[in-house]
Amino acid sequence: MSDRSQLIETGQPFNFDAQRDAEFERLIKRYPSRESMILPALWLVQEQEGWISAEAMAYVADRIGTFASKVYEVATFYTMYHLQPKGKYHICVCRTLSCYLLGKQEIVDYIIEHLDVRPGEVRADGLYSFEEVECLGHCGSAPVVQINGEFYENMTVEKLEELLATLQ
Amino acid sequence: MAEKVKLFVNGQEVEVESGKNLIDAIGAIGIEIPHLCYHPALGADGNCRLCLVGIEDGRPPLVPACKTRVAEGMKVQLDTGKIKKIQQDIMEFELINHPIDCPVCDQAGECKLQDYYMRYDAQPSRMTVKQVLKSKKLDFGCGVVHDQERCVLCARCVRFTRLITKTGELGIVNRTDYARVEIFPGRPLNNRYALNVVDLCPVGAMTSQDFRFKQRVWFLTKSPSICHGCSKGCNIFIDHNREKYKDDIIYRFRPRHNEKVNGYFMCDDGRMTYKLENDNRLLGAMIDKRETGFNEAVEAVRRELSQAAKTVILVSPNASLEQMYALQQFAGTINAQVSGFSDGYIKNGDGDDFLIQDDKSANRATFHLLGIDDTRAGFDTAVAGADLLLSFDNDLSLSLPQTDLDQLLGQVKLITVGSRQNDFVTKASIKLPVASFSEDSGSIINCDGRLQRYDAAVIKNEPMPSMIAAINMLGGGIVSHQEAREGLQANVPKLKDIDLDQVPGDGIALTENEVAHVAA
Repeated sequence: MSDRSQLIETGQPFNFDAQRDAEFERLIKRYPSRESMILPALWLVQEQEGWISAEAMAYVADRIGTFASKVYEVATFYTMYHLQPKGKYHICVCRTLSCYLLGKQEIVDYIIEHLDVRPGEVRADGLYSFEEVECLGHCGSAPVVQINGEFYENMTVEKLEELLATLQ
Repeated sequence: MAEKVKLFVNGQEVEVESGKNLIDAIGAIGIEIPHLCYHPALGADGNCRLCLVGIEDGRPPLVPACKTRVAEGMKVQLDTGKIKKIQQDIMEFELINHPIDCPVCDQAGECKLQDYYMRYDAQPSRMTVKQVLKSKKLDFGCGVVHDQERCVLCARCVRFTRLITKTGELGIVNRTDYARVEIFPGRPLNNRYALNVVDLCPVGAMTSQDFRFKQRVWFLTKSPSICHGCSKGCNIFIDHNREKYKDDIIYRFRPRHNEKVNGYFMCDDGRMTYKLENDNRLLGAMIDKRETGFNEAVEAVRRELSQAAKTVILVSPNASLEQMYALQQFAGTINAQVSGFSDGYIKNGDGDDFLIQDDKSANRATFHLLGIDDTRAGFDTAVAGADLLLSFDNDLSLSLPQTDLDQLLGQVKLITVGSRQNDFVTKASIKLPVASFSEDSGSIINCDGRLQRYDAAVIKNEPMPSMIAAINMLGGGIVSHQEAREGLQANVPKLKDIDLDQVPGDGIALTENEVAHVAA
């Protein structure tokens, strides 16, 4: 897990496009408490932009009618929200108990050394971004790595090396 | 009286107030349950787990005391080996990443983590891994400085901004050992009660820019008093200290709990009025801008009084009940008119529905109790044809437009008796210094008609005479607070059942019921 509190400001106001706007209005009726809409609203932002800027969080807060600090809390808590533009390949390594015990650190060290990207960072050429994430829910086949949404189970350094070769 | 319930704490039978949670109910009879996140004004959050206790009645083996109400016959275990182990473990957990910078931390001496470590843990650290470092000295706005490393994430500050001020500037971002209290970028603390988060913080994570590093708290004398910043009359502690070879100086005001007035909080403006007690004080008597002895100035005033054709006494709405009464009596003996004109002390629209009031004076309600006229029309009538204006700490320049003031001062001779130096006082031909409220005792009535008492807190190296003593020297008949209080009780019908020396700590509402109750 890295410090995710450093938000990026684009300097541009954020607005939902027409499609997300309609989806927001459709979803918000489902929740008796408007604050419950924070999670789906952040998904909509991410769907639209690929990541979530400080302006987008403030927009979501105003739209829902809650404190910006609450949206900030949620967005920084869940690692599936991207708080900066991702690399072409976004690599997530689960850091929680089962994966930890079954050697996630070797995989993390390998990525840092061979791909030259640290947790929470995007490589300068934009090819890789890397995040250590909380439980991915695959304890039975730990350690687990997720690349652009695809799960790769029972991961080892060797298997990762092969996998990365196919991505180039 | 509140209903009582009997329960057993560590096997010992005790009687406590019903309806409360275990921390408050048992705490009220002197048995402490350690806690970091719970605060009576913010409710139970249950995040620190330090208040876990055992209850022998078939419920889960451990329950958080902050979320458990007392019940008749409840058997509470606070001293078992298991509970002690939990307290020790929680303390160890809290201290994994907490810097042990007590020697330089502003909170040392009033830090719950420090106190609890000594009381419940006292074990050496077993940590061999590097501490997680976080940001220090973050400016959160409104004079609040945040140190993320010291924070134990009890979320009291976060809850305060969400539940009390409803401004929600603070949040806990990230997770696990990276979690920290943060403001949303570009949206710092922006409310008039922000400094309360400093009082609420159980550790040294929230500090006041104003107070930081000025004093170690154990050197401070903490005297109970009443804030004079507005007509709410929030209960406060005056924290002051007389350093060697120096004068007694006030370093801060802090809110003092009074459920019937201000709860646990006070506003930032009121908090900063401590500066008025220290700075810009009138320190010596003056006649025509020439420094002089106090007695010489008193003689000069008496001479002026005897020569004046018509004298008007101007009373400050901050004067105490006793001072106003003494002045009224004094005015009677010298045949002077009394006015409490002080419109300038009222800032219309400045108040809110919580504590801050429009009226920035502490005791205007007494004007109405004693029948002192505070209207402009009354003032104009009083000063018509007058040749001497005797102002007792009333800054008339706040209430009167400059042209009117100039015209008035062309007509009357101005004498001021007060504690503070200001533009209006500089226009006086004679100035007499007196003690300010923090150096004097008295009673005041707040905007809700609640009578409260305060005692002298600060004793200066060269104390100024009290206003009542000054009035007495000028020819007033009342020599002491005691005498003023007796006079008030005898002559003011609303106060006839109240012993002003025995006003309870939370004050008395000047309503029939409460007065009768206290008198009984």
